Amino acid sequence: MIWFESVTHEYAHAVAVRDVTLHVGGGATTALIGPSGCGKSTLLKLIVGLAWPQRGRVIVRDEPVSPDNIARIRHRTGYVIQSGGLFPHLTTRDNVTLAARHLKRDEDWIDRRVNELIELVQLPTEVLGRFPGDLSGGQRQRVSLMRALMLDPDLLLLDEPLGALDPMVRHELQDELRSLFARLQKSVLLVTHDLAEAAFFAETIVLMREGRIVQQGSYRDLVDAPADDFVRAFLQAQRAHAVPAAHA
Amino acid sequence: MHSRCAALLFGLLAVSARADVVVGSKVFTESVVLGELATQLLQHEGIPATHQRELGGTTILWSGMLRGDIQCYPEYTGTLRAEIFAKQSLDSDEALRQAVKRSHVWASPALGFNNTYVLGMRKDVAQRLSVTRMSDLAAQPQLRLAFSNEFLERADGWPGVRAAYALPQEGVRGMAHDLAYRALASNSIDITDLYSTDAEIAYYDLLALEDDRRFFPEYAALFVCRDDVGEDVRQALSKLAGRIDAETMARMNARAKLEREPEAQVAGEFARDRLGIRLQSHRDDRAVRIGRRTLEHLAMVGLSLGAAVILALPLGVLAYRAPRFGRIAFVVADVLQTVPALALLVFLIPWLGIGYAPAIVALFLYSLLPILRNTHAGLADIPRDLRESAEALGLSAFARLRFVELPLAARSILAGIKTAAVINVGTATLGALIGAGGYGQPILTGIRLDDLGLILEGAIPAALLALIAQAFFGALERRWVRAK
Repeated sequence: MIWFESVTHEYAHAVAVRDVTLHVGGGATTALIGPSGCGKSTLLKLIVGLAWPQRGRVIVRDEPVSPDNIARIRHRTGYVIQSGGLFPHLTTRDNVTLAARHLKRDEDWIDRRVNELIELVQLPTEVLGRFPGDLSGGQRQRVSLMRALMLDPDLLLLDEPLGALDPMVRHELQDELRSLFARLQKSVLLVTHDLAEAAFFAETIVLMREGRIVQQGSYRDLVDAPADDFVRAFLQAQRAHAVPAAHA
Repeated sequence: MHSRCAALLFGLLAVSARADVVVGSKVFTESVVLGELATQLLQHEGIPATHQRELGGTTILWSGMLRGDIQCYPEYTGTLRAEIFAKQSLDSDEALRQAVKRSHVWASPALGFNNTYVLGMRKDVAQRLSVTRMSDLAAQPQLRLAFSNEFLERADGWPGVRAAYALPQEGVRGMAHDLAYRALASNSIDITDLYSTDAEIAYYDLLALEDDRRFFPEYAALFVCRDDVGEDVRQALSKLAGRIDAETMARMNARAKLEREPEAQVAGEFARDRLGIRLQSHRDDRAVRIGRRTLEHLAMVGLSLGAAVILALPLGVLAYRAPRFGRIAFVVADVLQTVPALALLVFLIPWLGIGYAPAIVALFLYSLLPILRNTHAGLADIPRDLRESAEALGLSAFARLRFVELPLAARSILAGIKTAAVINVGTATLGALIGAGGYGQPILTGIRLDDLGLILEGAIPAALLALIAQAFFGALERRWVRAK
């Protein structure tokens, strides 16, 4: 589905991705994990052309990403970010259907699709007429997911989609999303800094540090055979977070 | 020509430019009375004529006439000699007549009075210092001098006086002629330039200092017209030859200025008593006047603002998309903003003449910066995640602009347009100086006549219009821009 071939992307003052080579298979969920600033979000942006490699190339569905095919790639890729990225001046319906209307999709098709999606993400229909400012955090992320799924993409990129939600809502949405991914059979690339969330969603976990991939494998692989001290420390920190030592 | 086209555009407002003969006048009482007299006389002869009053100084009137924005205006031989043909030394009257003719201008016979410059001071001060002649001033370096701005610059004004009499005074200030009388009366200044037929000389009990070295030339009043005006116009104006002596003129000035009689009435009575002709002089009532000026003002502000939006909004988008171009655009707009309004207006006259066109162009130029800056700022302030979300949806650059970026920047853009509108309403009052009318007209007349009521007749509607503009854009903002 996606190949990163020796990709490097540098920002003005920092290196975000350093010589990364990575293959993400189709139809499965892969989690990108690591500390803040490790380059995991930049990998997603490289796929949809919000960042461009300075060295190496990114291949999506057998095509190297380029300005010529980026519009097509974007239409077949859903992208959800932590803040939701919903346009505050548009209603839920207008947010969700903006791209479809831009592509001059049939009105009936659009209506049918909206009805399917609102059922899928389990939102009441009156939400369609509301503006993002009037929605709860959880509702906003559901709407953002509707927007990402509108054109029925085969690839979903989720950048900390649950990061801004309170723990109860987050837990509930985790369950829903996992069953949704299983049902939809799409390729999902999920960025998170939470190892438990990564393990919950993904068959494959890619652990990054300072722009490089440190280890790639299942959760079991990481726990049983950590590649180095950093992986060990990262696992340790996540477990300590889950069960604070003082109460143990 | 341009002002003609612009005026036609406004339909209702095209009061003056449609008429065949437009008589102009300078921004002081005597000129307005003479302009009014000429206009009524022409109308009496069956020649359609209108009066564009208080257009400004000599340069504006003369160049406006050469361009054909006006056909005639009252002038003085000394001004022609020392100001308009300053580069040529035209000693004899015949040489002056020839120079005027070469400029394709016809000069009427002299009207009969000489309105020369004099230097004036309060009689009590003059007595205390024993000053009666201009040469006495050389021994009084402490005197505070203030002159009308035109006098300050003219060769036959302060520079010449200073050289001819070897005067030592420093720190000479420029101020409006009408305000100088009040400054004299309140002892804020000691000496200013006066016109010998000014009504205020007697009113304020001033002493006109004797020009003992015969420095000031003769300022015989006459009318100048483009030489393409008809024979009937020349004949009508020639009827005034030698009919107005200095005393009569001073009395008319006093009635208009000190007794607040409308200039039209003063001129009308002169024509009736001295020429034996009865002229119709009508004066609009206040509501009609304010209504007409409101239309003039709205036309200036509306057209300039509309054009500025059409240009500055796309430029703001371009400045945001192409930062290098943006920096250049901002520098140009910044520089334009620093040009003083009056200077810009006068600067535009050679190209656009007098009237609406230069006023609208000047206001247009002033409106560019706030709209440009706010459009750019509104776009640049869009949060990165929203810009990226729009891009990741696969929208084209145009669709992103149309459906996401411009709506998100709308609040800032509207604020820029609102700022431009409010500035425009105020600045447009200066349009009266170059014949564009509007609320500036009564303000100008009010300053000239020291009439607070007239000043307020312009100032209050202008302030109200600014408030209405603010409220209008506020309502637009609430209607169009949804709060986040």
